[in-house]
Amino acid sequence: MSEELQREKMVPFWKIWANPIVRRYARSRLRPVSLGGVLLVFVLIAAFIFFSIRQGAMGQGKLELMDAARLPIVPLLVLQGLILFMLGTGQVAGAMTAEADEGVLEYQRLAPMTPLTKVVGYLFGLPIREWVIFAATMPFSIFSMWQGKVPLGVFLEIYSVFIVAGVLYHLTGLLAGTVMKNRRWAFLGSMGLVFMLYTVLPQVAKFGLVYFKYFTILPVVEESFAYFVPRSGQMVIQTMQELVPTARFFGLNFPQVVFTLISQGILILAMSTMLWRRWRRNESHLLGKVGAVGLFAWVQLVILGNALPLIETGQLFPSREFGRRFGRFAGVDPANWQPEAWEIFMMIGIFGVVTLAMIWMMSFLIIPNEEGQVRGWRRVRKKGGSRLSILSDPATATPWVFLMVAIGSVGWFTFAKAIVGSRWFPEFQLSSMALLAIVMVLFTGGILVQTILETKGRKFTILAIILGGVLPLMLGMIAALTKDELLPAGVWLIGISPMSWAMYASQVVVPIDDMPADVIRGIPLAFWFWQGVAVLLSLWMLNLLRRTRKEIAEKTK
Amino acid sequence: MSAGAIEIKDLRVDYGDFVAVNDISLSVPYGEVFGLVGPNGAGKTSTFRVLATLMEPTYGEVSLAGIDILENTERAREVIGYMPDLAPVPSDLKLWEFLDFHADTHRLGNRKERRARVDECLDIVNLTEKENAWCKALSRGQTQRLVLAKTLMHRPSVMILDEPASGLDPLSRREMRHALQKLAKGGATVLVSSHILTELAEMCSSLCVMNEGNLLASGTAEEVRAKLGKKERSLRATFLAENEAVLRCLRMDSRISEIRADGPDVTFHFVGNDEEQVGFLRTLASGGFGLKAFEEEGSSFEDILVQVAEENRKP
Repeated sequence: MSEELQREKMVPFWKIWANPIVRRYARSRLRPVSLGGVLLVFVLIAAFIFFSIRQGAMGQGKLELMDAARLPIVPLLVLQGLILFMLGTGQVAGAMTAEADEGVLEYQRLAPMTPLTKVVGYLFGLPIREWVIFAATMPFSIFSMWQGKVPLGVFLEIYSVFIVAGVLYHLTGLLAGTVMKNRRWAFLGSMGLVFMLYTVLPQVAKFGLVYFKYFTILPVVEESFAYFVPRSGQMVIQTMQELVPTARFFGLNFPQVVFTLISQGILILAMSTMLWRRWRRNESHLLGKVGAVGLFAWVQLVILGNALPLIETGQLFPSREFGRRFGRFAGVDPANWQPEAWEIFMMIGIFGVVTLAMIWMMSFLIIPNEEGQVRGWRRVRKKGGSRLSILSDPATATPWVFLMVAIGSVGWFTFAKAIVGSRWFPEFQLSSMALLAIVMVLFTGGILVQTILETKGRKFTILAIILGGVLPLMLGMIAALTKDELLPAGVWLIGISPMSWAMYASQVVVPIDDMPADVIRGIPLAFWFWQGVAVLLSLWMLNLLRRTRKEIAEKTK
Repeated sequence: MSAGAIEIKDLRVDYGDFVAVNDISLSVPYGEVFGLVGPNGAGKTSTFRVLATLMEPTYGEVSLAGIDILENTERAREVIGYMPDLAPVPSDLKLWEFLDFHADTHRLGNRKERRARVDECLDIVNLTEKENAWCKALSRGQTQRLVLAKTLMHRPSVMILDEPASGLDPLSRREMRHALQKLAKGGATVLVSSHILTELAEMCSSLCVMNEGNLLASGTAEEVRAKLGKKERSLRATFLAENEAVLRCLRMDSRISEIRADGPDVTFHFVGNDEEQVGFLRTLASGGFGLKAFEEEGSSFEDILVQVAEENRKP
């Protein structure tokens, strides 16, 4: 149009208060009538928690003001977590899917704002009501901490991690809402994730998998817990803190808050990158090739960095927690606890399973479909080129899977070596075939899934996983459990499944004799046989992939 | 690539093996109301979505108002006004809030300045009295008008309107037609698709016809009709009275078929170019048949589209 309107400068992403998407949701979600009611309910609940606990502790409990004032802090944190983590995350995921459903999301796509500004707009705009309700409950927390003489540093640590965790969960909801088509599933999925983080994972942490705790606010709360109880209870708390496993990254003495913020920050960065890519170009993969391998390497590094220091202390081994919890019933003296041989098999196997699962997950993110390849090739040919850039979305994921296999092998081997070389197992040593077994499992497992995905598509891959992965596992377990005579057959059947390869490799890496004789004999034989088959199958699939990609490239000429 | 308001060069859109838009090139000058016509599956919506920066093409170059939309997407979005088919509106905003949000995303000044522009746009689409109503409470036609107001909000220099008249009553349709023509006179370029083709022909200064991803013809309505219309012309001659001799004469001419007589009016199909038609007319006038009037019934746009669609269905 001839008459151009005067425009201001584009809003930078960090100027949250000036972000039009935030302002749009502030308008629709903070209408006095609807906000007022909800705000009243939550402020009343917070007030009830604060006054009932504090007054009860002073009146019936005869505690001094300072001690009584500390008691509502944790219940208030739980309420605030419910508001921000659960309700906020569900709101973000559900509303995002609803916007896509209704079609109004396209208007925002067309808005002349940078993709990052749009991501930030939705991230802080959609849950704006939950942030306001959270803020409305804060005076009670601040007052409790002030009267309870909780140091300002502790307050800042707790709430900085609380806010960063809130942003992380909301990003999870935003990603779920962007990727998932079904509003209900996006809502339930993202809320379920938060629920799992605070219920299941803290329990898992006690049995060796400590790292996941750092996606919650728990490590920081545990570290500062002494300030949230009356002074008389601090001895108990300190003892409890010593028993709770913490994960000092490679033994470095980071404050918990720093490591929690780093862990959550990296995840925030990864998810923001995914959303940025989607807002920049709707057809993009969630992660680029380099980003996926980088994220994989980072996860390997942190799992390793958290697991290694726990080996020498024994906190990595599940039997320690079992012994501590149920020792007196099982006749085990916790003071004389010693990890058992089967825990080598278990922990090395689990590390392999997690590594392989991560390779599969990353493969799903970076594998091009046929449509993407066709478009990529046509674009390249139009520009006079003859090959796809290795970094581009339509390029094959094979070299990148190879890279992840290499990184994963180093990580897994380092972990296995550290366990076997620890003070707990002087009688065990790594087999000479250890490295080969580890590399083969990750190579065959990673390459098979990637090549099937890339040549046959997702539906076929899911069918292949059910038939080649789940079914043999189920049949083998049924056979092994039916009677002893069928145990060898069960071992061979289970060995077909790629899901079992990492566990079988564990027995090859460090042979242990703490199992039935048939299993000890059967696992290495089944492992090497099926690995041989898998290697041949992988090579055949690599060749098939090469031919398929060539055909696609040819037909675009 | 910067001569016209809309410049498309070798645009291609694939969905897997299916070619939705097949290497089309097009240039639309500034200030035109340009129509895009074609049967379902012709590639119109894919083209619109690429132009609106909602979809990345397989390849091709597209510039709007001199801005390469693939290289400089954010800048291009400042000059584009896009109205999708059956345009949705949010259910949690009032009319003025919806428009103000879009004014805000386009950074159209402070609250007061934005409000003034919102009022102006509501007035253009005759929705001023509804400014405080909820968007979800509007009828289909009112919703279309509201989305048109949103599209006008930032005074785009290129407007891409997919079926803008759907759901509008005849009066609103006429108002929209006048509004678009007024915008074009002001310098905006309007790209519009509609299934009401006669309306499109009246509204557009030029248009193009697409079929199976290909651009069949573009130009003024007459040029497109001439290019795509049937080669067989339908002619009507009116005589002073019913005339059997004329019919005999017509039946003897091998270029003539489908003769129908209705009193003094005779219609028939003639195969030949303009010069041959002039010669035939001269013969008829000088033959003493009492020829009073003569007119050519051109192919209507509906005829053209039906013809294109039928050719589409042929194996």
